[in-house]
Amino acid sequence: MKKIFLSFVLSAICFSPQLIATEINFSGFATIAGGLTTDDNETLQGYDSDLSVSNNSLIALQASTDLGEGWGITTQLISKGSEDWNLATEWAFVSYDTSNDWRFLFGRQRAPFYVYSDYLDVSYAYHWINPPGGVYSLPFDTVDGIGVIKNSTLGSFDSTIHFTTGRNQGDFEVQGLPSEADFGDFYSFAWTLNKDWFTVRLSYASSTFSVFADALTPLTDGWRAANFPQVADSLEVVDDSGDFKGIGIIIDYNNFLFVTEFTQVDPGDSFFPPNDSYYLSFGYRTNNGMFHLTTGVDDNEPNFAMLNGIPSGVDPGLDFLIASTQGLLQSNLEDTSFYTLGYKWDLDAPISLKFEYTTFEDDVFSTNEASLLQFAIVTVF
Amino acid sequence: MKNFLKRTFISLLVFSFSLPAFAEVSVIVHPSNASSISNDDIKRIFLGKMKSFPGGSQVLPVNQSSASATRKAFDSGALGKSASQIKAYWSKLVFSGKGNPPKEVPNDQDVINLVKDNPAVIGYIDSASVSGDVKVVAKF
Repeated sequence: MKKIFLSFVLSAICFSPQLIATEINFSGFATIAGGLTTDDNETLQGYDSDLSVSNNSLIALQASTDLGEGWGITTQLISKGSEDWNLATEWAFVSYDTSNDWRFLFGRQRAPFYVYSDYLDVSYAYHWINPPGGVYSLPFDTVDGIGVIKNSTLGSFDSTIHFTTGRNQGDFEVQGLPSEADFGDFYSFAWTLNKDWFTVRLSYASSTFSVFADALTPLTDGWRAANFPQVADSLEVVDDSGDFKGIGIIIDYNNFLFVTEFTQVDPGDSFFPPNDSYYLSFGYRTNNGMFHLTTGVDDNEPNFAMLNGIPSGVDPGLDFLIASTQGLLQSNLEDTSFYTLGYKWDLDAPISLKFEYTTFEDDVFSTNEASLLQFAIVTVF
Repeated sequence: MKNFLKRTFISLLVFSFSLPAFAEVSVIVHPSNASSISNDDIKRIFLGKMKSFPGGSQVLPVNQSSASATRKAFDSGALGKSASQIKAYWSKLVFSGKGNPPKEVPNDQDVINLVKDNPAVIGYIDSASVSGDVKVVAKF
């Protein structure tokens, strides 16, 4: 018996190198963040005046392997405090690299909307705890589809062109109620030029979208019953199309960092408002960290055109529908700004400690104004 | 009191000298490698932006382990960045599936062994460890 066992172990040892033909690389990152608003009645970014440590915290594990001849597989699993720490697959793709710097990604991947899109969850890779929420506000970050990345040099610049096409189906919030959305016919394009301390990035994305929002059914039913089906159609989001434009600049010169992004979202004929956002961020590098100051603006202009030509003061039922619809559109109005002052402290180990103080101003709904203190421990491993 | 001041002064002196204790680092390649490699090429190779030598043949950069003094001297001298800046740089690429940092080996001798056996390898060692098996292309 002993001999049989021994020969089994020996054969296992002898054969295992062939069975495990490729090496799997494991890596990961984590953010444990906490925050609280400075006043009892204030809420901001999911925080209130009681300390909370789950909103922005996450732990991620990535496994990747090189299959040879340019092929590889990567998957990234993230457990987020805001999602009750349930595990979700953020990236899952097969990649193929050609010898002349073309890279193809097949599967779940990040859509390259913003400067920090590629490593949005990796707080260790940038100075804030999170990139500014006003700009980073599209309802989805990943698509299931195909990506093409081409690296090249243009004169003395490094150029990266990133094209993605695919689809995203998932949760979406309308009027604070959970609903579902389907972003199809999606394509995005980003072009990054970098030379030493200077980076400029342009991006464009376009998509059709449908939102399945039960919250709006009473309103659309009401408009149909009142014989104004065109208003109901305008309120329903079925195969509408919209686009996104972004520009970003990074100047990272010795101890000085300057980053700015300007984004424009045009949701086409849907009742969602067009959105303009930007931020400016200044950083100063110290021996073992960075002080930074960021300010930004987020601006939505609701479009009331769908109510043109609807007679008011004729019928109380109709007036109620007009008022409800105006209320819905008006609630999308946004004119906010913020200042964030922060410090990122790098320890010798691959750990950074981050501290931020944010004041948020709202020119439309003053009850939204708040001040927030946040801290975070971030790492990569 | 005088003694205290003296001791403080001496320990401050020792401390200030212990800060820039980076030894000189030599970047090495196989003796048969005839490429002329600029400091900017070295930077781009070790940041994964350049995948072949200026001559066109494939390049395989090799790092020393991140805790080593040689690595720290190379990161600050050749790449002009701190260890945490380099770590942040690579985490951008690793977690977007765009690239992996150069493989790490534990000491100068391992770098020399890899370089002398493979014309594609480029590495760096403490200048005191340079041997006839390798060719020095730059010093930091």
